[in-house]
Amino acid sequence: MQLHSGENRPSEEGQHLSQIETFYDVMRRQGITRRSFMKYCSLTAAALGLSPSFVPKIAHAMETKPRTPVIWVHGLECTCCSESFIRSAHPLAKDVVLSMISLDYDDTLMAAAGHQAEAALQDTIEKYKGNYILAVEGNPPLNEDGMYCIVGGKPFVDQLKHAAEHAKAVISWGACASYGCVQAAKPNPTRATPVHKVITDKPIIKVPGCPPIAEVMTGVITYMLTFDRLPELDRQGRPAMFYSQRIHDKCYRRPHFDAGQFVETWDDENARKGYCLYKMGCKGPTTYNACSTVRWNEGVSFPIQSGHGCIGCSEDGFWDQGSFYDRVTDLTQFGVEANADKVGMAAAGVVGAGVAAHAAISALKAAQRKTQSDKEEA
Amino acid sequence: MSETSLLVGPFNRVEGDLEIRLEIAEGRVTAAYTNSPMFRGFERMLLGKPPLDALTITPRICGICSISQSVAAARALADAAGIAPAPEGARVAALLHAVENMSDHLTHFHLFFMPDFARPDYAGRRWHDRAVARFTAMEGSALKAAVEARARLLHIVGLLGGRWPHTLAIQPGGVTRAVSMRDKIRIGASLKAFRDYLEGVLFGAPLEAFAELDSIDRLKGWDRGDVALFLEIAADLDLARAGPGPGRYLSFGAYPGPDGPAFGRGIWAGGVAGPLDTGAIAEDISHAWMLGETAHPREGDTRPDETMRAGAYSWCKAPRLDGRSFETGALARQVIDGHPLALALADEGGVRARVAGRLLEIARTQRVLEALAGAINPARPFMAAVELPQEGAGEGLVEAARGALGHWCRIEGGQIASYQIIAPTTWNFSPRDATGTPGPVEAALEGARVAGGEDTPLSVQHIVRSFDPCMVCTVH
Repeated sequence: MQLHSGENRPSEEGQHLSQIETFYDVMRRQGITRRSFMKYCSLTAAALGLSPSFVPKIAHAMETKPRTPVIWVHGLECTCCSESFIRSAHPLAKDVVLSMISLDYDDTLMAAAGHQAEAALQDTIEKYKGNYILAVEGNPPLNEDGMYCIVGGKPFVDQLKHAAEHAKAVISWGACASYGCVQAAKPNPTRATPVHKVITDKPIIKVPGCPPIAEVMTGVITYMLTFDRLPELDRQGRPAMFYSQRIHDKCYRRPHFDAGQFVETWDDENARKGYCLYKMGCKGPTTYNACSTVRWNEGVSFPIQSGHGCIGCSEDGFWDQGSFYDRVTDLTQFGVEANADKVGMAAAGVVGAGVAAHAAISALKAAQRKTQSDKEEA
Repeated sequence: MSETSLLVGPFNRVEGDLEIRLEIAEGRVTAAYTNSPMFRGFERMLLGKPPLDALTITPRICGICSISQSVAAARALADAAGIAPAPEGARVAALLHAVENMSDHLTHFHLFFMPDFARPDYAGRRWHDRAVARFTAMEGSALKAAVEARARLLHIVGLLGGRWPHTLAIQPGGVTRAVSMRDKIRIGASLKAFRDYLEGVLFGAPLEAFAELDSIDRLKGWDRGDVALFLEIAADLDLARAGPGPGRYLSFGAYPGPDGPAFGRGIWAGGVAGPLDTGAIAEDISHAWMLGETAHPREGDTRPDETMRAGAYSWCKAPRLDGRSFETGALARQVIDGHPLALALADEGGVRARVAGRLLEIARTQRVLEALAGAINPARPFMAAVELPQEGAGEGLVEAARGALGHWCRIEGGQIASYQIIAPTTWNFSPRDATGTPGPVEAALEGARVAGGEDTPLSVQHIVRSFDPCMVCTVH
């Protein structure tokens, strides 16, 4: 359905769309059966950690609520978020979510090109003013007036601001949009800047990770489309349902950490026994994400299970914290049981504003870095 | 009146951002200028970092070919350390890499290339209804099947690499995950399922039958699966003659094994195969917004010209071998490996040749995958000890889905002092060089038909996508 992709469509379909469709209408039109639809509602409830009693509520909402349009734009990024998204665990969930958003605008997957695509974006903005969700993958570079990322002859930052102006809410997909990610690594040659530093007057939900887990992405978007509100967020603006648990606490290798059994070198005997990777630089103890529970590639595995430590890709600044193979040294400083919320609240308490908490946390981390080994000078 | 200029872009369904300026006369493109309008500066971020950080940072150049970047970085570091990875580790890395390349080929055919033929512009063609049903963007039945098959194939990367994209398991000494007998059986099952998909849907026949084709006539006679639909469209639209490249091909050689790479290394120019001398590579920056001199990537630098000087028109440097432009990719790999069908396609060199070359590679890579997986010996070590030097230099040359990818790294004082990357699309989508010679895509677009009133000419879309551009890799 590239209704807004600028291709010629029969006019009766245009009229049909002028009425407000429900999600259910859209799905049925996409050939999804009633049975599949109900299955999808159950899966969604489970993914969101809701009890089975929520299934009829989700179904009712999808049947009666007008669908929420989604515009998906790309800035400085590598498309790993889209790549992750399109292989989410349940083909059903992916199909359903894609069928919901495919009506609108996604410049990696859609059919149109060039001026048609630009027109499609403009049409969608006009048509759903104030009603659509803007999903941002990547971030805008601000150096040299944004010239390092040009979309349709204009800096991406302009497209982003323009699309955000009439958005109901913004989703920052991945570490790039949420925090800047690698292109913001020192010396940040293009001044790559996270979305919330550019868009300051809209609700923003951060879904960090490089990339985020597919099921987390479908879960978040389904929640917003179904309940028409943001999920509960933690202090850093991440959906609490997926980012409230430390990798370390749910890690299947945790008993080995507690028992003091560690991998000492790659592929040693301890590695084959599945011992803890802490000494190999695992950042699981300071990383909040659902990898150790939801896992990756349809629940097959996650990095620690492949014998490599976590690099903390869902945390702010993970790309500039010294070597990825250095041991986590701030464990004792925070105390093993401190969590991101407590740190965030302490910081918020000091500065008295949630918005500034983010910067304060970064400053804290910068201060910690100085206490680490000196080889990180550069 | 008959001479116009057209700016085409942004392109959808390509990875990253791309703009092309066309000069048009008499309904034909007379000159094309490709611009990669996104620059992030990875080569600058790597400076001063611990060398092993390259394993985490470079894959993030691209979410589609991240394993290629990962393997190239691991090899460059191993080369600097002067060691070879443990043979089992190298085997698993090759397996992971081939799985990713295979996934990319599948993505390209289904999600990026074929949906153009479902456009209303082609309504009335005898194949159009089938193209719409199978390949309409985001909802065609072939797309759904391909995305699902791809997700299942990537279970192998999930299992061995922890996740995809941005897998961490590949290291200079091998891989972090020792493969157990149980893993080996699971991998075998995933590969069997993928073969079933390819034979049941894409090719409609045993892969060996396709891999045995040895002439264009026999290719044209292929009448099964979605491949047949592509060939029918290609014949109707004369895609064989659309977008011929420079006729020079380059491959670094793919999936190294104890007996050499599974797909050979070398060059092919003017109908003659030859050895590859990577010392003859240089990046020309005469038309790029970059400062410095034309240099071999060992001595190269990446300093963006913030004034975006007139005369230059892209962030992309122009890699040349012996001063000549080269096309790289699946077709190039198969040509250099000497496959008879690929050699026939090499002379043709256009849109059909590139896409058919990719299909041929899919058919042949399945066997490579099966052989790699079958040879894994769980009892042997998967990682060799590696001590990175305080001072040293190395190169990592691999074949990504889209072609030759090279990393050149220099370590000084235990830190990265220089890191240069030439990606496949840097070769293919390079701007002009100092002699004014256009890059391969720019050359391929010359002569493309532009119908009156077209602002995003269809022929240009087909030609550009036949190269499977990955613009985020191009300028990194």
